[in-house]
Amino acid sequence: MPLPIPLTFLVDLLTLFGLFAIVSMSLNLEFGYAGIPNFGKLLAVAGGAFFVGAIPGRVIAYLLNVPTELDFFRNNLEVVSSINQVLASNPIISVCYLLASLAGAALAGAALGYVASYPGIRLRGDYLAMTLLAMAEVLRVVGDNWEPFIGGSLGVRIPDPFRSVSGEYRPLYVALTILGVTAAIFVYLELVSRSPLGRTLRAIRDEELSARVYGKDVDRLRIKTLVVGCAIAAIGGALYSFLTASVSARDFNRVTHTFWPWVMVIVGGAGNNLGAIVGAGIFVTLRKLITFYKSYFEVFVPFDVVWLEYMLLGLALILVLLYRSEGLMPERPTKTLKYEDIAKAIARIKPKEKT
Amino acid sequence: MRRQGRIGLSLLLVKDAVIFSSLLMMLSAGLTLTYMTTRVPNFAHGDFATLNVYASLALVRLFNISPYLGTIPAFMLGGVVALVLYLAVLKPLMDRGANYVTLMIATIAYDMILISLINISADYLNRVHKLITRLFQLRGFDVEVFGQPGLFVIAPILAFAMITSLYFFLNKTKFGVAMRAAIENPSLAEVVGININLTYAISWFISGGLAGVVGVLMPLYMTCNPDIGIRLLISIFAASILGGLSNIYGAFLGGAVIGLAEVLGTGYLSMSLGPWIVPYRPVIPLIIMMLTLLFAPRGLAGINWKRLMGKVG
Repeated sequence: MPLPIPLTFLVDLLTLFGLFAIVSMSLNLEFGYAGIPNFGKLLAVAGGAFFVGAIPGRVIAYLLNVPTELDFFRNNLEVVSSINQVLASNPIISVCYLLASLAGAALAGAALGYVASYPGIRLRGDYLAMTLLAMAEVLRVVGDNWEPFIGGSLGVRIPDPFRSVSGEYRPLYVALTILGVTAAIFVYLELVSRSPLGRTLRAIRDEELSARVYGKDVDRLRIKTLVVGCAIAAIGGALYSFLTASVSARDFNRVTHTFWPWVMVIVGGAGNNLGAIVGAGIFVTLRKLITFYKSYFEVFVPFDVVWLEYMLLGLALILVLLYRSEGLMPERPTKTLKYEDIAKAIARIKPKEKT
Repeated sequence: MRRQGRIGLSLLLVKDAVIFSSLLMMLSAGLTLTYMTTRVPNFAHGDFATLNVYASLALVRLFNISPYLGTIPAFMLGGVVALVLYLAVLKPLMDRGANYVTLMIATIAYDMILISLINISADYLNRVHKLITRLFQLRGFDVEVFGQPGLFVIAPILAFAMITSLYFFLNKTKFGVAMRAAIENPSLAEVVGININLTYAISWFISGGLAGVVGVLMPLYMTCNPDIGIRLLISIFAASILGGLSNIYGAFLGGAVIGLAEVLGTGYLSMSLGPWIVPYRPVIPLIIMMLTLLFAPRGLAGINWKRLMGKVG
């Protein structure tokens, strides 16, 4: 039974929302909490996607004894379809493959984050932003041109871990998986932001010198933030590849995976995980609606309506910056312990002092 | 015979390199000028030029006018586009005490609007006037000077003229001196009665104007596409950073170095290693840029050459 149209629209919307929410939350951790202007978000997202395109397919082909004379890239279709047959009949292998790939992508992202932290602890402000932008661009150019890696500009098909669910229900399954990951990351980041670590990051962001004076190891925390942020963003990139069951460097560029996440974080409200999510939600809904109604407009104007979307986004962003610079959901004051808890803690300490 | 072919190829490369460097010099000087005043790396700078690429296409194909005659209107158009960014977006934000990230995001937002306008005009020219607007060039419409392609002669002259006129403007005119004062110490300049806002606005206008001139000439030399500004931006940033981001003449020098390194580097590497290296061209400015930022963050202008020479010699 095919899914009704409004439902497919919703499923598409939620899938895209989940993917962008992951990336914007990771940016929020780096910029909103730690104050690192990561204009190279593309680096980690593309890193995760490129990893999934290059490594897991080859590994699983080796494990499943696909004839070794078939090269993963040159005989891409044959290899992938023979793997897909196995995956379709064996959900357990599919799930293992998915989880292992995501873990691998996160590790690759973490490694890229560590590389990014080299300028990340040495440069500040706009200089850092431009360096990270340049690093991301190098990775993109390599992915776009080095064929043995992920097929150059042609891209590469990858084994589909969602094969075990047939036809019409695949998108639903993908959407639920992505939303599950998004929710898990949201919970993790919320916990981080309420922990002493989260408060320290904000302290560094607001007044680095004071944080140093209080003995906080600013450099180590910046490295940590970039490593974790990039790992999360890489998971987002990997999930995007599984959604389409292919990887192409052409899908990743500065505008879609660096600037748009920035738009989401700024519009939603930096320094607030919920803000990053709301920003992603608004952005994705707007885009989806424009694409949905595109065909109605197309008749009247002599240009592609997609471009109106860019103008709308630009204008909206400028208006938000001018009139609501803290975003739709501003940063909330740091949650501290309740008075009763503090009183209990004091009560616990006091008897000790008497003895 | 083969040797001659190589020399011919080298000459072509050198011509390419000279044209590209000249255009890059003007672009990076503009970017540096705005960075000096407003302290924001302008992400929309490449698209000030791209907008004029399409103006140039319309000029040549619809009205049959040479792009060289379009340089003055292009200067105006680019200038006005930049001025709007400063007056309508950046100035109000700065008045509200926005930090550099907000300003950077604002230039990106403005760039999105420009991208939209560029693509809309490309689509319009394509669908209504049936012109090729993606991956096009207008080499056939260039004039010939001394048997050479006109741009090979005119672009360096133009770049040189821009340097000298900027030098005279900034050093010999009263307004130019006021502008330098406003850049170096805004509050002190304000105390002695210099209209800082006006000087900043003028520098944005000049910056956009330079980009506009480059844009109108660009299709005479390279294959243009609506995303060319976004691609060029990396080279522009690299050139400006190499120049130190605080010195216009440094930016001219940076533009020359990056332009030559990009074209000659790719050319000679592809001759010796094979043509597969050509698509990696953007990596060259990126590497130069990263090395500059990590090891000489103040660029060529910030290096103490005397000390360095003393150490070496």
